[in-house]
Amino acid sequence: MEIDFTINGKATRLNIDPAMPLLWVVRDELNLKGTKFGCGKAMCGACTLHVDGEAFRSCSIPAEFVSGKSVTTLEGLSESEEHLHPIQQAWMEENVPQCGYCQPGFMMAAARLIEQYPAPTDEDIKNNITNICRCGTQPRILKAIRRAAEIKQSLKS
Amino acid sequence: MATENKKTFSRRKFFQRSAIVLGGVVVATYAAKGVIRRFIAETAEGMDMPSMLANNEALLWFEILPDNTVLMKSPKIEMGQGIFTGFAMLAAEELEMPLDRIKVEHASTSNGPIDKVSTGGSNSTSSLYVTIREVAATMREMLKIAAAKQWGIKPSEVKAHNGELSSGNRKITYAALAAGTKDWEVPEIPALKPASEFRFVGKDFKRIDLKQKVLGKPIFGIDQTFPGMLYGAILQSPYIGGKLKSVKTDLAAQSPGVVKVIHEDDLVAVVAKSRYAAQTALEKMEAQWDVPKKWQQDEFVALTKVGTGTRVNVQNEGSAESAIKDHPEEVFKQEYRTPMAVHAHMEPNGSVVHAEENKATVWTGTQAPDMVRGAVSSALGLGKDEVNLKVAFSGGGFGRRMDLLQPQNVARISKIVGQPVHVFNTREQEFMNGVFRPQTHHVLAAKMNKNGEVEAITHDQATPDQIFSMAPENVGAFFLGADFISAGHGASIMYNVKNKSTSVWHQQLPVTTGIWRSVGIFPNTFAIESFMNELAHKTGKDPIALRMDLLKGSEKINKRYQKVLEVLAEKSGWDKTKPEGTGRGVAICNDRKTIAAAVAEVEIIDGMIKVRKITQVIDPGMVINPEGIRMQVEGATMMGLTATLYEEIKVKDGQIASSNFHEYPMVTLADTPEIEVVIVQGHDEPYGVGEPPMGPVAPAIGGAILQLTGKAVRSLPIRLS
Repeated sequence: MEIDFTINGKATRLNIDPAMPLLWVVRDELNLKGTKFGCGKAMCGACTLHVDGEAFRSCSIPAEFVSGKSVTTLEGLSESEEHLHPIQQAWMEENVPQCGYCQPGFMMAAARLIEQYPAPTDEDIKNNITNICRCGTQPRILKAIRRAAEIKQSLKS
Repeated sequence: MATENKKTFSRRKFFQRSAIVLGGVVVATYAAKGVIRRFIAETAEGMDMPSMLANNEALLWFEILPDNTVLMKSPKIEMGQGIFTGFAMLAAEELEMPLDRIKVEHASTSNGPIDKVSTGGSNSTSSLYVTIREVAATMREMLKIAAAKQWGIKPSEVKAHNGELSSGNRKITYAALAAGTKDWEVPEIPALKPASEFRFVGKDFKRIDLKQKVLGKPIFGIDQTFPGMLYGAILQSPYIGGKLKSVKTDLAAQSPGVVKVIHEDDLVAVVAKSRYAAQTALEKMEAQWDVPKKWQQDEFVALTKVGTGTRVNVQNEGSAESAIKDHPEEVFKQEYRTPMAVHAHMEPNGSVVHAEENKATVWTGTQAPDMVRGAVSSALGLGKDEVNLKVAFSGGGFGRRMDLLQPQNVARISKIVGQPVHVFNTREQEFMNGVFRPQTHHVLAAKMNKNGEVEAITHDQATPDQIFSMAPENVGAFFLGADFISAGHGASIMYNVKNKSTSVWHQQLPVTTGIWRSVGIFPNTFAIESFMNELAHKTGKDPIALRMDLLKGSEKINKRYQKVLEVLAEKSGWDKTKPEGTGRGVAICNDRKTIAAAVAEVEIIDGMIKVRKITQVIDPGMVINPEGIRMQVEGATMMGLTATLYEEIKVKDGQIASSNFHEYPMVTLADTPEIEVVIVQGHDEPYGVGEPPMGPVAPAIGGAILQLTGKAVRSLPIRLS
């Protein structure tokens, strides 16, 4: 089936199985490896990306779902590698990643969160982001999200 | 041993091979016997890896690139520990380079010999602390000698600074000099900079791989793609000990995108054009399994019990056993248990292999590169030298990547289809075909005199092994009896008690058990330190004061214990009034000379354990990168928290009962306590950091619950009821 959608701002047409999880479309058909496979059951959040601005766990949504929609992966989050998104800037400032594998999913979930909660409390963050990190970067992720919200606010003013 | 010949040979080989790779812009290395001995000695001393894995051709390589940066080829692998950052700092120190001009990547067999010593045991930085500086200093002197020759002066008149060599008005960058130099003179290893002159070591530096990871660059094994690459999926038994009886593959073969179905001896696999197609087809296979026994949880747990199997005594001072046997009325005795667990690292295991006519290339994240190479070469009937292993960044390891992860099967598949093949587990395969943290059972007994002083103490730990699967079947059990090296690590009693005895008991489980971050430190510290907290509770003593008292002594280690406990008491506010409804607990361990101690502050809200704060004090000897240490301690604390509150692998009806994260909960942001990390520099050489702080987490939380409820925690994960 032919599916038309936008990926990181670029119009794309793919002829693929409409049931193929979006995760594998992004990783293997579009060769964007920033979105990670962790569990395949929407439980760990490593595959989080944005569809029309909302955060989704892409391992569990079929390709046909994004027909006519706009998909953003970590690769499309920032303007460029020099001008990082506030989430990525904060991740750099707080020196967050360890192995780094789950971080793209966390960053995508967090980027959506600070849209919804411009000044999130720890409770807001804890209630809304349930991704898994085995290395134990959670204390720094909490700090980085609060910091990212500040950076975002300062850009507006 | 003809060290000199070997040295010359290695050097020449290095120049030849590197010249091909880089077009001649290369400076070299050394292979001194001191390095080799240190590797073996420290590997053995680390007690985590059998010395049969030790290396006698440990080489570390630096290359000077045309942009005047230095590329270091690391023989140790980066799986999140931050060792590349520490390595770069050590290299920069002696190379006289700015830190941001040093890059580190994994050594591979095409650009250098891979270290045969695996990465683990928290010893990457400590074991290379001297080596890296020696290699870097040697390289700096080689540059000085080359510059001196060019300028017709003595090497001592050349100054190396900030990536440049200078003498008077003359100046040349390392890169420009290296580009024009053909014959290098390698000096004896120069004297190393004294610690007082360090510019980087001891200061905070962020990870050197930070930006790639924040950008989500394709650095992991699972991210690798190659022209013509196909995707495979391998059939694995969903039963413990299950053997394939029969399999119908017709439906799988007809599934869209399938290129080939393989059924060759024990290997059943699908090869397809995409991972999705391969996994979809695999699910269509109808397999029948011979299951020798359908294990249930109770009988499985009963396999690990003190008094069952082979016993090895590992500590025996005074007459502890008779003291305890002869005075049962004065003996306090308790039992503790820890469950099986999985590694649950976020990047599943797998590899990409391209098997060609007379060679093969493997891309994977592994803690044991040499073992992977060996397995692939024997699977393909190739010599080890014909297998080139490209080590990728690992999306977590925690010991799981000390094992093989099927690269030999991926290699067989690649050979059959004649293309590069990408095979990575599903999460279900990860959980149900894992190598597990062994379950443990502990019996601790103490005899106290009338004043409540401990006169004798015994600890018996029953644990399946963590290392026997690395050797041919039965060899480990035959020679060692029990795995006192790894699974039994930390079982011995460190307290000053006149009579003490420790034994490790072994009985094989029907699943493979293996290394899991901190090896025996996690279960043993849980058991011993929970027992100490119970002793304090029983005798009405302060838990920190009790430990201080039992750790007194004139040795340096005693002073380090005292200092860590003093700092911990102060930083955790141990003597200050607790908020209402809060319990505080403490624990301490010594993991290969690093001392880690923690205080946990815990509340119980609506029957749920809420860990509010954990204060961790670590004395890792010498401190290289405090920021790196804090990250590792935070990480170990969170992993310890998961293991304390949630983690447990059970068996049911012959299967592993947890198939994915819904049946294996882990901590999330919602569980995250405040974590304060305090570093005490207690010595002038570095010890390990990644694993020791795992030890005190569970018993400190248990101690807090004991204080809060009067009930002792004796098994993990903690269940209040």
